[in-house]
Amino acid sequence: MARIAGVNVPTNKRVTISLRYIYGIGPKKAQDICTKLNIPDDRRVNQLSDDEILRIRELIDRDYRVEGDLRRELAMNIKRLMDLGCYRGLRHRRGLPVRGQRTHTNARTRKGKAVAIAGKKKVTK
Amino acid sequence: MARSVWKGPFVDGFMLTKAEKARSSGRNEIIKIWSRRSTILPQFVGLTFGVYNGHKFLPVQVNENMVGHKFGEFSPTRTFTGHAADKKAKRG
Repeated sequence: MARIAGVNVPTNKRVTISLRYIYGIGPKKAQDICTKLNIPDDRRVNQLSDDEILRIRELIDRDYRVEGDLRRELAMNIKRLMDLGCYRGLRHRRGLPVRGQRTHTNARTRKGKAVAIAGKKKVTK
Repeated sequence: MARSVWKGPFVDGFMLTKAEKARSSGRNEIIKIWSRRSTILPQFVGLTFGVYNGHKFLPVQVNENMVGHKFGEFSPTRTFTGHAADKKAKRG
């Protein structure tokens, strides 16, 4: 068990895979980190020396925005839009799609699960 | 796709003269504009615009956070007051 960038505890997987458990690090950035530190692709986290783990930690702290900081930044961006009173902010406030998608149907990811409309008559033959 | 940087921000030319005139007159009057497509430039900060939404001129007080957005973003063109059946979701 190794702790990198705060709470994250990647396991006995390859380094490029387990770094992705950190919020804000995906395939590309995980690969970048490994190449920068000359860690071979097939190395697993439990095979890393303490020094290497330390260097990964330092690199992430210095060059990448991850976890809480990143989440805060995203939340601030959305909050800025909402406070501005612009169209995108309104859409965020209402929980509707922001980028001009249709809402007649679909848009279920933003709108949440469909709610039955009370009092709507069923079509009968 | 995003606009090319070398073109600079899009603004209708007359917006600049309108803004200039309002600046020099000193009074903070609402500048009525129809050009919803124009980008808000730093020199518009502090002025109040009436942005037409097809019905009315909605007053928009420009602050520095709005720079880079378009005027139309601050003047919604549609009114949605909720569906008749669902009373819970009704808004003012």
